[in-house]
Amino acid sequence: MNSAGKNVWIIAKKEIHEAFHNRFLLIVTLFMLLASAVALVTAAIALNTDVATYNDAKAVLLSLGKSADMIVQPEFYPLRLLRGFIEHIEILGAVLGVLMGYQAAATERTHKTLPLLLSRPISKRAILFGKTLGATVILMSGLALIFVAIGLLVDVTSSVKLTVSDSFRMGIIYLAAVVYSLLFFLIGFLLALHTKKLPNALLLGFAVWLMLVLIAPQIGDTLDPDNQVAGGVFKQLHIAKPQEVEILKSFATYETVRTSIEALSPTKHFERLSFAVLGIKDMYNGMALSPVLKEKTVDMYWLAGLLAGLLILLMKMNLNFTLLNKE
Amino acid sequence: MKLSIHSVWIMSQITIRQSVRDKTVFLLSFLFLILVLVSAYLGWSATNTVNAIYLKTAVFLAANGLPVPSNPVLESSPLVLLRNMNTYVSLIGALAAIVLGYQMVAGDRKAGVLPLIGSRPIQTGQFALAKIVAVSFVLGAVLLIASLINTLTFLLLPAFHLSAIEWQHLIAFYLASGLYMLFFGLLGMLFSALAKNESIALLVPVTLWLTLTFIFPQLTSSINPMASLNPLSATAAAPTSAFFHYSTLILHPISMVEVYRTVSAQLLGFQPSTSSTHSLLEGFLQLGGGVLLLMGASIWSITRMDMSKGDYSE
Repeated sequence: MNSAGKNVWIIAKKEIHEAFHNRFLLIVTLFMLLASAVALVTAAIALNTDVATYNDAKAVLLSLGKSADMIVQPEFYPLRLLRGFIEHIEILGAVLGVLMGYQAAATERTHKTLPLLLSRPISKRAILFGKTLGATVILMSGLALIFVAIGLLVDVTSSVKLTVSDSFRMGIIYLAAVVYSLLFFLIGFLLALHTKKLPNALLLGFAVWLMLVLIAPQIGDTLDPDNQVAGGVFKQLHIAKPQEVEILKSFATYETVRTSIEALSPTKHFERLSFAVLGIKDMYNGMALSPVLKEKTVDMYWLAGLLAGLLILLMKMNLNFTLLNKE
Repeated sequence: MKLSIHSVWIMSQITIRQSVRDKTVFLLSFLFLILVLVSAYLGWSATNTVNAIYLKTAVFLAANGLPVPSNPVLESSPLVLLRNMNTYVSLIGALAAIVLGYQMVAGDRKAGVLPLIGSRPIQTGQFALAKIVAVSFVLGAVLLIASLINTLTFLLLPAFHLSAIEWQHLIAFYLASGLYMLFFGLLGMLFSALAKNESIALLVPVTLWLTLTFIFPQLTSSINPMASLNPLSATAAAPTSAFFHYSTLILHPISMVEVYRTVSAQLLGFQPSTSSTHSLLEGFLQLGGGVLLLMGASIWSITRMDMSKGDYSE
């Protein structure tokens, strides 16, 4: 390892060491684990309720001498239980990222150590890259712990063992979750490095989190005409899918605006990719992995592109030394 | 020593002034008001689109000799236009209230003014009361501006005419929103007085807010976290099972986010017929009870603060 690489690794190790002593991050990680476990268990209970209802209805039909084909049998795919878990990653993974990014800069600003560090023979890029590398390792470890625990819990709650293919799909989403959380780390880090007052950086970070994670997807979702009426507008009007598609052609501009608002949010790209790969969305259920990944290339490019963009911004923006001495 | 309304009001005025000058509080309140505007636009735009879809569908159905169902837009109250307010109040409104409540006490603790207040002939109970008056006043002012925006929206859109009873519902909706935001403002205040560490003072109420918003609905109604953001799906009924029956029984009394969502869905007229059957009065009593409980807890936590020190340990 050359000297620059060594410096990067020293900074990263320091970040990892600090993270393990940080109560704040530990609480958020444990909270995310708890929330994910609750999501999984309640999903399993809801599914068991559906199965019990189906079995009761089937027994009634059979006792009346009728065919059980009249009712739809609930389908069971263990990965579909992960919907709530993925949504918790969307919300809390982003919170974890923002907090970590804030902490990475705040510790240096409050201790006034960054200007001192920069007076040593170490480049600004090595420091920033080292901190980002440290955060990547921390996020990978925290999310690995959560994904393994949830994988084991799926086995327990569903009494169905995950196949190698299921685990591989979860592995892909684990990597996407790391990239997704890292995006928010970079947002929190950039804000805490460049905001005049440090406490404002955290609240600005939360404001960005609100806009990207909650508000933008919410606007896209609630503008969907089918979400305006309980049960769906087309269902209420008794319109079949082909006619629905035909009618919606007249609202192409509206749909473009709606989907563009959604596309602004990295959360929506992470969700689209995860729901497709894990088969949470009906149309991808039972589909082979490669065509799913091919179809979701755009979402992967979005996440990778945003990450690259934020990294470039981090490296290119000038650090204001007077600012770094201030809390 | 008697309760001096004058002293309480003077202390409240100072706290209000400080809060208005606080950039963070201003930013979050501004964001909330922007979203109130966005909510009105979204409601108008989405309602118009559903209406246009209905008209196109009606032509198609009539051309094919099929029966034309009634227009879903005309079947609902014009207040449905504001359904997104339910989500924005429960998300950003609650978060802004937490930050406001937190700043009102934490600001004094960090500025080191507590020993000064402790040395004056002021009862800590009066000081606590002044903080509660201040948080109620600021939240009331933000909601008053929001209600004026909504009122203007209805006055500028004559197609959405409100009846007298619907105006009353709008006022009741803002009353429920006020109680809900005050609940979170007091939560922020309680922990900013109680905590020894500044980070924990903010982290605990935010974690409680996240729990009430995203975890409790899963336990009581099996509603996934992102579905909580959609005003319609957030009020869906729980699956019929013993688990959800007992979890609702245990958690509903403290599930303030769900109580608020149910109350506002009833008042704005978009609650699905299959959803919760809790009455409006029950909802208001729960919100009011929560506020009273937290008022007591906030007064207790502020009066037991060490006035000789005050500041956080880190």
